[in-house]
Amino acid sequence: MIRWDKRIKLLFLLPAVIWVLTLTIAPLFFSLYLSFTDVKREVVITGVEEIPVLDKDGNPKTRSDGSIRTKKVKQKELQIKYDWVGFKKYKRVVNDQEYQDAAKFTFIYVIISVFVEIILGLFLAFLFNRRIYGRGFMRSLMILPIFATPFAIGFMFFTILFEISGPLAWMGIPFLSNHNWAPFSVMLVDIWQWTPFCFLVFLAALQGIPDDLIEAATLDTKSAYKIWTSVILPLLQPIIVLVILLRVAESAKLYDYIASLTKGGPGTATQSVSFLVFNKAFKMNDFGYASAGSFLMLIVVMVFVMLFFTRLRKTYE
Amino acid sequence: MINKVITTFVTLLSALAIALPAVAGKHVNWKDDGTVDLIHEDGTVINITREQLGAAYGPDEKPFEGETITVLSLDSGPKGGISGPLYSARPIWEELSGAKVELALVPFADLYSKMMLDMKNGTGLYDATITGAFFYGDLVDGNYIIPVEDIGYGTPDYGQWSYDSIPPNLRKLHEWNGVGYGVMNDFDGQVFYYRTDAINNPEMAAQYKAETGDELKVPETLQELLQISAFFNGKNWDKGDDETDYGTVLHLKVGEQGHYHFQSLSASFAITPGPLDKYHGVYWFDPDDMTPLINSPGHKAALNFLKELHLTGPSAQIGWSLGEAWDVFLRGKAVFTFSWGDVGSLCQDESRSNIKGVCGSIAIPSSTVYYDHEKKVMVETDNPVTYGNTTGGTWHGVVSQFSENPEAAYAYLAFMATEPWHMWSAANGWTGVDPGAYFNYLEPNGTATMDQYDAYGWAPTDIQMYSDAYHENYTAPISLEYLRIVCTPEYWDIMDKNLSAAMSGQKTTDEALDDTAASWEEITDRCGRDRVLNMYQEAIGYNQ
Repeated sequence: MIRWDKRIKLLFLLPAVIWVLTLTIAPLFFSLYLSFTDVKREVVITGVEEIPVLDKDGNPKTRSDGSIRTKKVKQKELQIKYDWVGFKKYKRVVNDQEYQDAAKFTFIYVIISVFVEIILGLFLAFLFNRRIYGRGFMRSLMILPIFATPFAIGFMFFTILFEISGPLAWMGIPFLSNHNWAPFSVMLVDIWQWTPFCFLVFLAALQGIPDDLIEAATLDTKSAYKIWTSVILPLLQPIIVLVILLRVAESAKLYDYIASLTKGGPGTATQSVSFLVFNKAFKMNDFGYASAGSFLMLIVVMVFVMLFFTRLRKTYE
Repeated sequence: MINKVITTFVTLLSALAIALPAVAGKHVNWKDDGTVDLIHEDGTVINITREQLGAAYGPDEKPFEGETITVLSLDSGPKGGISGPLYSARPIWEELSGAKVELALVPFADLYSKMMLDMKNGTGLYDATITGAFFYGDLVDGNYIIPVEDIGYGTPDYGQWSYDSIPPNLRKLHEWNGVGYGVMNDFDGQVFYYRTDAINNPEMAAQYKAETGDELKVPETLQELLQISAFFNGKNWDKGDDETDYGTVLHLKVGEQGHYHFQSLSASFAITPGPLDKYHGVYWFDPDDMTPLINSPGHKAALNFLKELHLTGPSAQIGWSLGEAWDVFLRGKAVFTFSWGDVGSLCQDESRSNIKGVCGSIAIPSSTVYYDHEKKVMVETDNPVTYGNTTGGTWHGVVSQFSENPEAAYAYLAFMATEPWHMWSAANGWTGVDPGAYFNYLEPNGTATMDQYDAYGWAPTDIQMYSDAYHENYTAPISLEYLRIVCTPEYWDIMDKNLSAAMSGQKTTDEALDDTAASWEEITDRCGRDRVLNMYQEAIGYNQ
């Protein structure tokens, strides 16, 4: 009876497993395969049959000169040939200056935007972790950006940062037209949208710290700084690590803001790896390059995540 | 009793209101004088002769009844460029033909991949595509499109139009090796637009004379244009407000249309004038071995010139698309812009423009210096020749080899290529369809009359200059050759990025164009040098 129950449980899991296998795992492995192959795709017309075009009553349609209208029905065969090319595509990607620039921008973007989001999120959580008038309303207001669509936010910031008549035009800063400022503008958008997420998680974590622990600490020291660094931050550390991981993984996929705000420019100043590989795949039909570029990125992010987890594990051992 | 009568009367009236349009036709009115009124959803009427419309259509003749076609195109909405006329034509042609038209509209960035995936897989999802001429290399190389002669062109059955009504420089964008594949629609090429009131302003002319020692006039060379643009930039010469105004406004955003500015402008710097051979008339590659010419001294001089020119406009234009740049010009804030035919017709749209009647046009002036590819020197000239260009997409329809209803697809495209329909499209800026056929030009260059354009609300001075400028551009003896080989999107993508990097200061001119040339070598090798070389020679009509 117990064994039968277990099987039932497995049966209930089956749809989810099929879903993941077909829509995640299979495309992932196919993409991996594409990164090692050259694909030649050709439609070969094997036969052509000319047949009359019929009207709704089944009679042949005629042209104005009385001749019967015909159409050619083609028998076709799709021939796809996969040639194994080893690491050729990876070599091409690694040696491609454009990919190198995109990787460099993505790296800097992730480091700066995630760092600022964590610091700002912590600061705001600290401010809100007390009894203040209208805290609930303010908290709701602050987390609104999380729910907006990144693509739409890109367009919104395009208007805000418009250099001639936008609301920030008075500052005289070339937000989108200068290759040094444009990366900053994209980071600004990310920070605006995702700092509230960090804030929300940190605030929940802060509110989960027992009051008596803080009260005990205040018996030892009156220094708020010392209480923060010696008590609160160590307690928050797992949450901070988790938020960093989530934000790094998300930021590294940067595509939407760029597509709607800068198109990767000026030049290649704001071109992320995701934006580059997407365009290679869907604008140039170069799926081999795109797959190889994506897997290289995946490897870098995985290494980063593993290092972080290793560090985290050591902390608690 | 009275209530009953009223109810019966109202019911009868309602039934008639529903039935009458069905009998008379909501969008097509067959007239006794042998013409047909094509009635748009907004009430606009286009009158066409039965002969122009095609013999297959008639009050009781619906040649494609029961057939459905799907047309793939750029998506700019029902009142946007290129897709707008497709929406407008759909209900009218459906009523004429009995067929059903599905529009598959996608953003520009997705068009190539959607089209090619369908063609490469042979699925035949799209019967026709409104394609850019730069995709021809891929379309012809794979034998994915049908010559129009096989599906009704040249017969009296469907919309009457002819390749003979297109100037040769544009006509060849619809053909490959003399075989016609494309059905004419939009014609793209860039000309210079200028504010006639600013250039003819005596006060400004006096200031200009005092500052430069020269007479203020419509520029005849690019160097003159730069000087005039620099003079106007930063002055409040458009007195409508307190803001300073600009010299030249451009659309330079990467990933959009920025690189087209460079193509059009650089032609007179980079092409050695003369009949086409290894050294003359070539712009992109050495036609013998596909060595890129993009980093020639002529191209570099052109890029340096473009950098100087952009400094006479808003610095923000590095990040601008068409819309932003056109808007500044149409609002009267810039004295010059150079762009496609849309600007000329948008000038007439008073809901978007306040420069109607002062919107002048000229073919792009040429540079007084150019590079001689044979002698490897920069040459100075006092009388530069006009270099035409067909820069842009020249968006037009092609019919898929895998279409189930190719004749119906062709007929829909041909309907929009008829003279009355095309005149309507070309005269209205929002359609994105620009003029180019002989019947679009005013007499004596073409057959259009001032009355025709007047009916569409054009200012007489504007249309005269516009028509002359485009006629000169498209019939120029030397024209910037059009790149339409396999992998064209790749060549242009990397060029676009490097040009943008140079314009924004991320790279120097030399770095940007040398990097482009190096990337082009790699692309050529990857796409197959011999294959690309053959296509390039065929595309430009080069015989060794």
